[in-house]
Amino acid sequence: MSVADESPEAGVTDRPRASALALLSSIERPAAIRAGVVAALFLFALLALPALVSTFWLQIATTVAIYSIVTLSLALLVGRVGMVSLGQIALLAVGGWVALRLGFGTSLPFPLMLLATGLITGAVGTLIGLPALRLSGLYLALITLMAAAAITVVLQVTNFPNGGSGFTGYSGALAGTVSSSLHRPAPLASSSAFFRVAVVVAALMFLLGVAHVRSRAGRAWAAIRQSQPSAIAAGVNVTLYKLWAFALASFMTGVAGGLLASSAGGLSTYAFPTQDSITLIAVVLMGGVFSFWGPIVAALLLKLLPELLRNWGLPPDLLTILFGLGVLQVMLTAPAGLAVQVPKDLANLSRLIRGRLASGTAAE
Amino acid sequence: MPDLRPFLVLGLALGGVFALSGVGLVVLYRATGVLNLAYGAVGALGALIAWSLINDLGLPDWGAYLCAVAFGGIVTLVYGILFGPPLAARDPLIKAVATLGFTLILLGTMSWAYSYQAHSLILPTTEWGFDLGEVRVNGTQILGLGLGLVVTGAAAAFLRYTKIGVAMRSLANHREITATLGVPVRRVEAAAWLGSGVLSGATGLLLSTLVGLDIVGLTFLVIASLSAALIGRLESLVATMAAGLAIGLVQACLTPFTSVGPYRTMTPFLFAIVALLWFGFGRGRLSTA
Repeated sequence: MSVADESPEAGVTDRPRASALALLSSIERPAAIRAGVVAALFLFALLALPALVSTFWLQIATTVAIYSIVTLSLALLVGRVGMVSLGQIALLAVGGWVALRLGFGTSLPFPLMLLATGLITGAVGTLIGLPALRLSGLYLALITLMAAAAITVVLQVTNFPNGGSGFTGYSGALAGTVSSSLHRPAPLASSSAFFRVAVVVAALMFLLGVAHVRSRAGRAWAAIRQSQPSAIAAGVNVTLYKLWAFALASFMTGVAGGLLASSAGGLSTYAFPTQDSITLIAVVLMGGVFSFWGPIVAALLLKLLPELLRNWGLPPDLLTILFGLGVLQVMLTAPAGLAVQVPKDLANLSRLIRGRLASGTAAE
Repeated sequence: MPDLRPFLVLGLALGGVFALSGVGLVVLYRATGVLNLAYGAVGALGALIAWSLINDLGLPDWGAYLCAVAFGGIVTLVYGILFGPPLAARDPLIKAVATLGFTLILLGTMSWAYSYQAHSLILPTTEWGFDLGEVRVNGTQILGLGLGLVVTGAAAAFLRYTKIGVAMRSLANHREITATLGVPVRRVEAAAWLGSGVLSGATGLLLSTLVGLDIVGLTFLVIASLSAALIGRLESLVATMAAGLAIGLVQACLTPFTSVGPYRTMTPFLFAIVALLWFGFGRGRLSTA
């Protein structure tokens, strides 16, 4: 019941047997190169990027880093387990609410506060997913859509905490006078420091995702995605691993919400419309759900591209249309998304050009 | 206890429209297995086009409304012809996600072309009305409720007694076997797309009068209709209609209660969540088309 029926790992087991040494080098060289590229990119983002771009673009980069956690969580659900959630943006808002509530109500240190936000949001997300585990994929998607719409309504009435009293922590008298943004500890006050925090947290979340996919959980998810009845027959505890996936995705989204609550400008109830949950699934599918590069591409599409368009004087609405076309294209022809499809297309193109050149020289 | 009578009228009208669009969703789902999440967006764009035709081109009102309904039918049919067959064998979830792509295309088009100003569309039936006791009932409200009831009855009769209707029901059971029996599958599916699209056009016009011509609001009112359709298990037209009316009534009647009033737009979602819980853990069976 997966969104895309062919997974990139499908061909891995069919490799011809080779000598142990050749096998080792064939595995290790690309893996080493990949690790090197990832480390270089990470270090570039962490050390060089804040010095290279203006404060405005640094804030955009921070948003991209935060949203890459959200796209990662959805890509894990869709790509690894085959479950579609249409409520991820609402969960992000819940994460923001919890973080602000904790921030104004307690004096937890920042990392603990993020962790607590993730755990509480994880519990909320699990509650939403719980009933849906008995239902098929379509109904899970619908129940998350309903829950997202309901959460949006509640948030618009209760507002985000701004230091008021009571459970909701919102005071109309304080509205506009204080920022609804969470106070960051002094060492994180500058935007470049906060960008680094966002990048590090995002990297930790990606590591968490990679660790899960490579462990027992990832194998169980793969079995569920291919066929739930076969997974049950093979002794996989389907309910547990589906719930685990939902809890993990909600945890990640909650952490992202906590970061968002502490970023500049704070949160407003109009920043989390239900529409964004749909845009989110669109960019996640376009970026690709099988590769860990996909969520990064998705976050760039979601948060960087609109700013670039605005910068060039083009209406960002065009992007919504493009995302819609992208979803249909992914559904019809390219289930692995841009992160896999573009390199494949480029490789095909270069092979084509090389072929043309070779035949050209042969003709001479 | 506040006087609920005016809200009863509002609720029945809104519920009728929820029922109308719920029936449109269920008929399409039964025939093609596609849950068309772009249903609301199609209706919204139709209503905006009607607005343009009246205000920019000076077309007579009824002509513009006919154009809006026809637009709904045609654009839905085109989507169905282009994307229905290639996705026919896929999971219902995939088909529903593909319609989200369609939703985004429509949403982007609308906010690109129409977001520069606020629009309003008032059907001429609103001017006509009568007093029921102390409550004023207008024509659009009667039209909403009436269309909801009539379309549910007509759709049920259509599925039961006509040749195409029977073909749609057999498609819902098994597409391949139906094709083997000599039913022109694509033509029957096209009929379902067209019918559902026409209903979405009508829904858009009614809702833009009853609720307001707001792009995002109208697009996501599909979620409310979806609740009615889910309570009908995406199968029963009568249950869908009853659920639509109940949702509309409860939502409207919560308005005067200050403690829960602000939360009233959650009504359809709570109905749907309770229904899904009931079907998931209770005895019920959900249609998987």
